[in-house]
Amino acid sequence: MAMTGIDLPPVRPRTGLQRPGALRRLVSDYGQELVVLTAIVALFIVVTMVNPRFISTNNLTSIFAGNAYIAVAAIGMSMVIITGHIDVSVGALIGVLATISGTLAVAGYPVWVAWFAPVLVGMAINSVIGVLVAYARIPSIVVTLGALSILRGGLISVTGGTWISGLPPEFLIAQKRLLGLPVPIIAMVVLTILAALWMRYSAFGRSLYAIGGNPEAALATGIPTERRTVAVFAIHGAFAGLATILFATQLQVIQSTVPPNLELTVITASVIGGVSILGGTGTVIGSTLATILFATIGSALIFVNVSAYWLRAVIGLLILATVLADMLRRRGRA
Amino acid sequence: MTVKSIFRHETLLALLLVAVLIVLSFQSDRFFTVSNLLNQGRLMTEIGLIAIAMTFVIATGGIDLSVGSILGLTAILTGVFWQNVGMPLAVAACAAIAVGSFAGFCNGLIITRFNVPPLIATLATLALYRGLAEGISQARSVRGYPEWFYVLGQGEVLGVPTQLWILLLAAVLASIILAYTRWGRTVYAIGSNEVASRFSGLSVEHTKLALYTASGFAAALAGVIFVSRVSTTRSDMGTGIELDAITAVVLGGTSIFGGRGTILGTVIGLCLIQALKNGLSLAGVKGDGTIMLIGAVLILAILASNLFERSGTR
Amino acid sequence: MTAPYVSLTGMSKSFVGVKVLKDVSFDVRPGEVHALLGENGAGKSTLIKMMAGLYTPDAGTIVVDGKEMKFASTRDATAAGIATVYQELLLFPEMTVAENVFLGHYPRTALGIIDWPEVRARTRQLLDQLDTFDLDVDTKVLSLSVAQRQRVEIAKALSKNARVLIMDEPTASLVEADVQRLMAVVRQLRERGVAIVYVSHRMSEIFALADRVTVLRDGAHVGTRDIGEVDERELVSMMVGRPIDSLFPKAEAAIGETVLEVKNLNHGRHVRDISFALRKGEILGIAGLVGSGRTELALTLFGMTPATSGEILLDGKPVRIASPRQARDLGIAYVPEDRGLQGLVKSMAIRKNVSMASIEGVSSGIFIKAGAEAQRALDAVKRLGVRCRSIAQPVGELSGGNQQKVVIAKWLQTNPKVLILDEPTRGVDVGAKAEIHTIMGELVKQGVAILMISSELPEVLGMSDRLLVMNGGRVTGVLDRAEATPERVGAAMTRLETGEAA
Repeated sequence: MAMTGIDLPPVRPRTGLQRPGALRRLVSDYGQELVVLTAIVALFIVVTMVNPRFISTNNLTSIFAGNAYIAVAAIGMSMVIITGHIDVSVGALIGVLATISGTLAVAGYPVWVAWFAPVLVGMAINSVIGVLVAYARIPSIVVTLGALSILRGGLISVTGGTWISGLPPEFLIAQKRLLGLPVPIIAMVVLTILAALWMRYSAFGRSLYAIGGNPEAALATGIPTERRTVAVFAIHGAFAGLATILFATQLQVIQSTVPPNLELTVITASVIGGVSILGGTGTVIGSTLATILFATIGSALIFVNVSAYWLRAVIGLLILATVLADMLRRRGRA
Repeated sequence: MTVKSIFRHETLLALLLVAVLIVLSFQSDRFFTVSNLLNQGRLMTEIGLIAIAMTFVIATGGIDLSVGSILGLTAILTGVFWQNVGMPLAVAACAAIAVGSFAGFCNGLIITRFNVPPLIATLATLALYRGLAEGISQARSVRGYPEWFYVLGQGEVLGVPTQLWILLLAAVLASIILAYTRWGRTVYAIGSNEVASRFSGLSVEHTKLALYTASGFAAALAGVIFVSRVSTTRSDMGTGIELDAITAVVLGGTSIFGGRGTILGTVIGLCLIQALKNGLSLAGVKGDGTIMLIGAVLILAILASNLFERSGTR
Repeated sequence: MTAPYVSLTGMSKSFVGVKVLKDVSFDVRPGEVHALLGENGAGKSTLIKMMAGLYTPDAGTIVVDGKEMKFASTRDATAAGIATVYQELLLFPEMTVAENVFLGHYPRTALGIIDWPEVRARTRQLLDQLDTFDLDVDTKVLSLSVAQRQRVEIAKALSKNARVLIMDEPTASLVEADVQRLMAVVRQLRERGVAIVYVSHRMSEIFALADRVTVLRDGAHVGTRDIGEVDERELVSMMVGRPIDSLFPKAEAAIGETVLEVKNLNHGRHVRDISFALRKGEILGIAGLVGSGRTELALTLFGMTPATSGEILLDGKPVRIASPRQARDLGIAYVPEDRGLQGLVKSMAIRKNVSMASIEGVSSGIFIKAGAEAQRALDAVKRLGVRCRSIAQPVGELSGGNQQKVVIAKWLQTNPKVLILDEPTRGVDVGAKAEIHTIMGELVKQGVAILMISSELPEVLGMSDRLLVMNGGRVTGVLDRAEATPERVGAAMTRLETGEAA
């Protein structure tokens, strides 16, 4: 049993690349990510030619920093979808966590308590969801639909719709800079890279793909699917908590509402980024890129003088185009 | 009648509804009055129409998230066609409903022709249709409709709110279709095993196309009724109504994976949600508290029926 | 004689009060192939699932390598050196070959992260050991054939250093050439001292491979024999509990005029220039390897993948078939290859499955007549001998053979002129198989024309009046019953074109 030819599939000729077909493999493994990345780059080039102010530091900061929290939430969402589940309650969860965090900050607790609380509470709430999905075997869309009502209703009945103001300045981490870069951008990039590595190089990460790809086989392989399901929801809760910190600290006040349909935005980012809604495929890099794409489109439309009223229509059309392109690409491959 | 059929989801849910009605009528003497109940029926109609169509869609194993956006688009178009384009109001409303149905047809086309999973397809059109509503309305609202138009949303026929008649008619028709016709059987077959349905010579694509179009039509009709009820148009009308409708359908025992579900269950689910909303607000609970309770009821109802089912079969 | 590596004694198991395994003992020695035989429901799966740690026994002991063990999960069984290749291959289609092999027990680097180069290298090594040099470790499993997937499963088992390999009907969905290759792999593993538990319905393989054979019936142990002590007839009667006279009772039917004629039919790469005629009362068998275009031809005739060119004549009249619905209306029925996915709605009642392709027939207008539907289902269940509690029972609860009868019943409701049967007895036990063959015989007597696809050569040879052999999407041979020998069919299966070798 010689070990020859292990780096080289037998039939293909050796080329200058480390592995033959490495480029092809990159395209096949990260196809959707590349599509999104290309779209972002193309958009930047076109819009900058129309209006050079598009790549001003101010605008770039607002594109990246202002939407970083969506990307962070989409990391957790991608993990949940890869495992074959879905969460439609994350928007409401972020609202609740923001209120908790803000209340603690205003009440005079140390800022680190106010920062850590949403992460811990997010994990706790989503663990309950995970238990209902994994052990009580209620479909995740049903559980999270219920959770959406509970969290949304709970938020408004507790706050009565009032805003939290008078936040201590040291609490507002999203407005700070580190090494000259806004903290949200650093957080988004670092968290995406860490999560991507973890999904690729840890047995835990791979087991999520296994569970989403073929739950029955995962069980037969000895993967504790129930425990992993609870864990992935808990981790998603932690990312929702991290997203909350970025969301709640970007302004001087915390509103009692989150942007409408935030959960759908987060899910869309995951899916456009290449995470199959059927589970088992996709990466967190894709979801972050997709978030950036949406933000870029939103900003670009303003710079090329499209009326703000048509913004969502154009975004909707682009989402649809991406989805159809992806389907045609997959059909071509099959 | 076997023991198992007594423990059917619908039966449990109906018992729960009766219990809720009794408790609520003790809480407030304004609750169990004819005028209050009829008024609640009025408020329930828009979600109801959407939920009835959604029952079919979910029973095939699909979902339609774009209904709220179609509702908003139709509402805006009704106003625009009438005031800006200058159509007679009746024509404008019909044209708007036609556009809404066409929007549903497009959903169906994307799903059947391009094999896009329904969740993704309608997530995309949710953004698109709402965007069109916003773009067309430019944040302007259209008011001042002729008196006759308000009959639909605010008037009564034989002492019962006009739109409640529409809802009743839709519910009766839909339950007959789903339970007793070939089309209904096809819906369940597709939801249980789409491939086998195709191999049995059933027209899977046509059926789905028809259902998503019907879902668009129901949302569009609900949109016109909505405008008539609140006397104005706004582009954010119906935001989030898709989740309310899905809640009612799932609460009513339709399996989110398809293959199982009844219109009766959906209607009971709707009534339960509306009764909770109204009863609790009369009893002094703030509106948002009731939303919480509905979420909890949804989870608990599915949990209970899961437990019954498991002990029943295995 | 070597000591058994695994021995099970007095295994019993009940599910909701039903005893599915009663006091069964079984053992397997290193370097031995021990065949496990029995009809569906005899308890084979339950027994192997206990060995694999998926089920815990109610009673009985498991001794591995001299030590008594209790398996709480599949992990425990794996640790004890027991690996299973399941019938429904449990792989992850979106993952690469290498990842599938090492999923759950990746080699790690010093940092504790997955060592991907090592994963790929060791997978290459394992595949080479199985003489599978043609499989790229970076290919996604979804693009592999069934036979290739199976080899990935075996590599996976070996990667866990399995001392015992359980193979659950490994050849059920393989064609002859792949079967031969698999048998070579099994022999090689045996030589390396692996103990192999081999579950199969196919007698020829058992006699070719096994050292010992154990037969189960109704959850009980009927007997364990050395393979030299038994013959096929005896094994079958041990399994069924009664002697079966003929394995392929070919009914003689009067063959009438041509019903279906196909001229130069084409669709894609797998249906090329196909011409043949099928007559009333005739069984025309189609033999060929996987990818030879057998099923694709059936799907084209059935309108699933409509023909791109060529002619189909039904009763002498040219017809166009663009959908299964049209095929049905023309009197063509197709009992598909994959029963669970394509044939049945498992969660639905027998009644509803039976009426599925003929729903117009039990409706007035758009309304279904429940009485007429039930009557038809009752008649069909009686006629085909479907064993069930009632016609309201969900089809998924029936055994494989009875499920297949329901699919056949569904299509008989449409009164087909042409009945296409694709692997009609795959995964069906011996008793039900004979019954399905009898049903086929009755149908041809009534004048139905049958087109039968089967990977099991004895079945095609035994049942067909004529034989169509396909390769590479083309017809490479047409043989009469009298001239069809396994050698001739085998030669035609690998031949390129009809004219070439003749």
